[in-house]
Amino acid sequence: MKEIPDKNILLFRSCLVSVEYPGVEASTKFVFDKLGVDYAISEKQTCCTGLGHYSDVFDQLSTSAIGARNFRIAKDLDRPNLVMMCATCYAINKKSVKLLNNKDELREKINNLFDENGLGHLKYEKDELKPTENIFHVVDILYNKIDEIPDKIKYDLSDYTIATHHGCHYCKVHYEDTVGGVRDPHILDDIIGACGCETIGWYDHKRATCGTGFRQRYSNPELSFSATADKMNAICDEDVDIMVHLCPNCHIQFDRYQHLIADREKRKFRAIHLNIAQFVALAMGGDLDKVIGAKAHTVPIDSVIKDLKEVEK
Amino acid sequence: MRDDLKVGVFLCECGGNIADVIDLDEVRDSLDVEFIGQFENLCSLNGRKIIRDAIFDHNLDRVVVAACSPISHEKTFQDYVKPLNPYLMDMANIREQCSWVHDDSERATHKAITLINASIEKVKQSDAVDPIYCQTPDEVAVIGGGIAGMNAALSLAKQGTKVTIIEQSPSIGGHMAKIGKVFSPVKIAEECGMCLLNPILNELVWNENIEVLTNAKVIESERRAGTYNLIVEQSPRYVDTEKCIACGKCAEVCEVEVPNDWNDNLSMRKAIYRPFGQSYPESYVIDMDNCSKCGDCFRTCNMRAIKLRQKPEKSLLQVGSIIVATGHKLFDMEKRPEYGYTRYADVITQSELGRITGVNGPTKGKLLKSNGEVPKRVVMIQCVGSRDEKPDGHRYCSKICCTVALKNANIIKHKYPDTDVLICYTDVRTPGMFEKYYKHTQENEVRFLRGRPGEVVKKGDNFIVRTEDTIKGEFVEIEADMVVLSTAMEPSMGTREIAETLNIGTTEDGFIKESHPKIKPVATDVQGIYVCGTAQDPKDITDSIMQATAAAAKVSEYNYGGVEIEPFIAEIDKEKCTVCGECISRCKYKSMSIQDDEIYIDPMSCTGCGKCLVDCKQRAITVNGNVDEKIVATINGVLSKKREGERMILVFLDNIGYTAADNIGVNRLSYPESIHIIKVISVNRVRPRHIRYALENGADGIFIGEFPGDLMYDEVERKIGMVKECIAEMGHNPERVTFSKVYIPYFTGLARKLTDFDNKILELNEAK
Amino acid sequence: MTTQKITDSPIDFAEDIILDVKNSKEDGVLKCVQCGMCTSTCPAARHSDYNPRDIIERVLEGDMTIMEDDNIWNCFYCYTCHSVCPVGNSVCEVNQILKQFAINNGIGYDKLYEYMGFADSYFTAAIGAIPEIFFEDIRRDVPGWWEFRQNLGDIRDELELNPPLMPPEEVIDEVSTILTITGFKDRIEKIRQSQEEE
Repeated sequence: MKEIPDKNILLFRSCLVSVEYPGVEASTKFVFDKLGVDYAISEKQTCCTGLGHYSDVFDQLSTSAIGARNFRIAKDLDRPNLVMMCATCYAINKKSVKLLNNKDELREKINNLFDENGLGHLKYEKDELKPTENIFHVVDILYNKIDEIPDKIKYDLSDYTIATHHGCHYCKVHYEDTVGGVRDPHILDDIIGACGCETIGWYDHKRATCGTGFRQRYSNPELSFSATADKMNAICDEDVDIMVHLCPNCHIQFDRYQHLIADREKRKFRAIHLNIAQFVALAMGGDLDKVIGAKAHTVPIDSVIKDLKEVEK
Repeated sequence: MRDDLKVGVFLCECGGNIADVIDLDEVRDSLDVEFIGQFENLCSLNGRKIIRDAIFDHNLDRVVVAACSPISHEKTFQDYVKPLNPYLMDMANIREQCSWVHDDSERATHKAITLINASIEKVKQSDAVDPIYCQTPDEVAVIGGGIAGMNAALSLAKQGTKVTIIEQSPSIGGHMAKIGKVFSPVKIAEECGMCLLNPILNELVWNENIEVLTNAKVIESERRAGTYNLIVEQSPRYVDTEKCIACGKCAEVCEVEVPNDWNDNLSMRKAIYRPFGQSYPESYVIDMDNCSKCGDCFRTCNMRAIKLRQKPEKSLLQVGSIIVATGHKLFDMEKRPEYGYTRYADVITQSELGRITGVNGPTKGKLLKSNGEVPKRVVMIQCVGSRDEKPDGHRYCSKICCTVALKNANIIKHKYPDTDVLICYTDVRTPGMFEKYYKHTQENEVRFLRGRPGEVVKKGDNFIVRTEDTIKGEFVEIEADMVVLSTAMEPSMGTREIAETLNIGTTEDGFIKESHPKIKPVATDVQGIYVCGTAQDPKDITDSIMQATAAAAKVSEYNYGGVEIEPFIAEIDKEKCTVCGECISRCKYKSMSIQDDEIYIDPMSCTGCGKCLVDCKQRAITVNGNVDEKIVATINGVLSKKREGERMILVFLDNIGYTAADNIGVNRLSYPESIHIIKVISVNRVRPRHIRYALENGADGIFIGEFPGDLMYDEVERKIGMVKECIAEMGHNPERVTFSKVYIPYFTGLARKLTDFDNKILELNEAK
Repeated sequence: MTTQKITDSPIDFAEDIILDVKNSKEDGVLKCVQCGMCTSTCPAARHSDYNPRDIIERVLEGDMTIMEDDNIWNCFYCYTCHSVCPVGNSVCEVNQILKQFAINNGIGYDKLYEYMGFADSYFTAAIGAIPEIFFEDIRRDVPGWWEFRQNLGDIRDELELNPPLMPPEEVIDEVSTILTITGFKDRIEKIRQSQEEE
């Protein structure tokens, strides 16, 4: 398996986390602190271009130029390990590192543009970062600390029925680097296991997309929600209480639109949706408002999690 | 002292082939040697007399034959110089590389003189050496007792060779024993596999030349002059095969039940068991990992055959050659979880379907789902793990799965015509006569859908197979109540392990690699080790048997003939050697090993390339035959004839390159007279200092050619790159050295390259 | 019936795709055997007329009208096809490349127009916010979302998130400069103008 760091980490801020589920960021920090992960956040780092990129508004040159700038910030802080909270940031940045390393023409073009416009300090040198050795998702970091998680668990969530949804842009884009497989992805199931809970494992459409499809959710809602409904029906069939995510975009699709799709399918969907960092933070005793950020959720977390029982040591 | 040697030169006119272009009178006048003879046809028996007489009359120490190419007649003249040692004769190739490629008589004559002079200088450096004879013992180890190993063993045994079959499991028989039915494309019918296997098994059991070791593994191997010393470890069976009469009373009383691996875990067996009805040895065996050690079997056995205290035994087996027949295993379905194999009992593999439909299988041949009902629709999914470049998949086609699916579909249709069978395929591969069987299958109303399914899920009582019907261009969900996966064939663990133990090469897919896929399909890259069956690549029973008998024939050829080896191979000075092992890792031909705490060089695989010399810090290795000195002498011999203003290019070629160069002459093409070809046993023996020496002593250019198929090719290419850098530092123009690929059939290309190189050297000279 | 002229070179289209900077699969597209595994796992194929296998077939036939086919806009970019393709092709990437080809040929601007907000937010805030044009839909479809968004500042304060949401001015300037010099700004203006003229 790939080498996963626990220090010199730049925790890469995600736009969707910031404005939709800020509790994911707070929970990640909470869990990282508990696990002794060395990280920092930079105000200089900006958006990966993800949503714009995958709605085809952005061209690759612009996305990779933005990437080069963010990589420079990480290097200047001596934090060359970029760790993402969002699957799309993960896929986009990993791709940009690959392209900047391997496509000489692209890299030289970007570097020349920087040079000619007074941005010479942003230039990217070939192989400054490595796609496998420097670009990670929070789940990678948690997986690497999986043996240390059980000691830090405060609450027992094992009575809930839990299912996982693995974001496509973590699992499938750079599948060679994916921990826990892509055909029956289970990195989330493994991390949840370390929290003392057993997930339902496989369910129909487990590896399928959340249905967001970037432009599909807004421009093609019928198509988008049909795909989401496949998955929601499947987890409803399994009577799931908690669905665990690793990407804020999937999170939006399920949490924000659960009511709408329930109406559409004429079923009652009751699962709550938590990011893996929120789930682990909750199990480690994170406060619903001060850490988990429950107020940002559309399906109320307390509709399922009523009272928490402490684990028996 | 070598300068005092008496050299005789014999010029061959070759019936005008040489004499019409080259002025042999002038050649004679220009040479200063003890004796010069000339004859119109030296290779004839009269030639033999002339050479012999001259050797006696003039007390010649060395002989140079200036005639055709050594590729044509070296062996002839080595014989004609008797009683002189054959290696004290050298041939100057003044036909293929002189009279046949040059028109200008004056220049051709001068070149002939140069070539003869080079041979004279070279032959003075030769010493009398004897060829090495190797005779391998006529005993063979066959590793693996499946259909391939059994057939190879039988074939050899019938030719009188002693064979030991080393089988890892408790019985020989392999996959074929459990396959159920087999079919032949000609008969268009399925027939009982065991009924075909059993006679072979019986024949083998009764053959006195064959010994079968079961529960056995080769754990170590070393090789010394054509003999392999194998350490074989036999795990205990805990039942004495001599005493056991296979009555089965022990299994009746055994209370431990575990999944029966011979039935692909579809049924249960006891901890003491017989693998299958016809297994050999005809004896029970205890699966000690699962035995509760209650002692019931021990108390029940009237024959007192149960030996609970058996220990693993190691023994030494000495053989002359080895046939690897370690077979395959099937793709691990955990690698493709989307098909639900690990989740659902009625998603099975073709192998399991073979067990289920086999009359000696878990359901006595009835096609039943896990709930005991006959399936209404069976969907087969092809290419599972094959033709799949994704992680854990195999890029190759497993070759047999199409026909296996057709066979199993037919078997279902014969017995259960109401069960719908649908095969989801990408391509149906039924070459040759198999196509008839495909048509037969269609007539049986087996259905085909062209599409590669994405996943299998369970909805209610049924499965749903999600796939595109690519002919309709439509995404479909197909209900089924049984799904059969045609899993890829991959190298067995035994195949991977034996490759490591014997240090034989494997393909990127982990199969045993043949030394040449076209012309040496059963030899491995280690001499004396052969391969057959699915250890080498996916194949069916027929092909496995054909390859097995081919391997047996090759072993016989090798054992019967003995081998005579040219003595120009590496030798270790044991006083100097520290057994650091550097040479072992460097040798591309795997000829070196440590035996009895000393480095041992196998004469049968060493090519004398000299790679080991350079890396030996102790300078403990030499290559016999003064190769270095001969190269220097040849260079001197050529360059000393250089005339004012003459261009001289030295071309170093090994046997393959030299043959290509001869072909230029044979086909009467030409190249410039500046080209002087020097034959070396391995291009790697041309050292940087040779190149430097030549350039400093008058050579205008150096051309090195190597066949890309040679194991040393990359090494030589890299070395020449370094040499160029190094000579540039010393003030020479690196463009005066060139490296090129050579191929025997591409002699026109070689002629062009030689001509181009000469032009380039001319330019460089003029620029100077 | 169509006639394939001796001078036709259908494979050129695939070659252009292979040379595109986004292509990570080398010659993957050429190795397609039309097995349909992509379609078998595709959410868009399941719920619309989108057919990834067919896209590759048309690309290999040199059918450039595919750039104008509305169906290509149905891809979810979920990369499932990319993760399972047995011959090492990626329809998902080919699709993205086709769309960039389309845009470079002035096709599909109408599809992008709604997403101009993404571009704007980079220039004004260096973040990729959901375009305001969709806020009405979201207010309608997601109960409580609008109120949540109004309270975002308070919620973030309670979570003690630091640094703040908006990057400093000089960062926004730098990002704006980058997006100008890469030609992105021009591209956006061109798209906006063409749509607003209509």
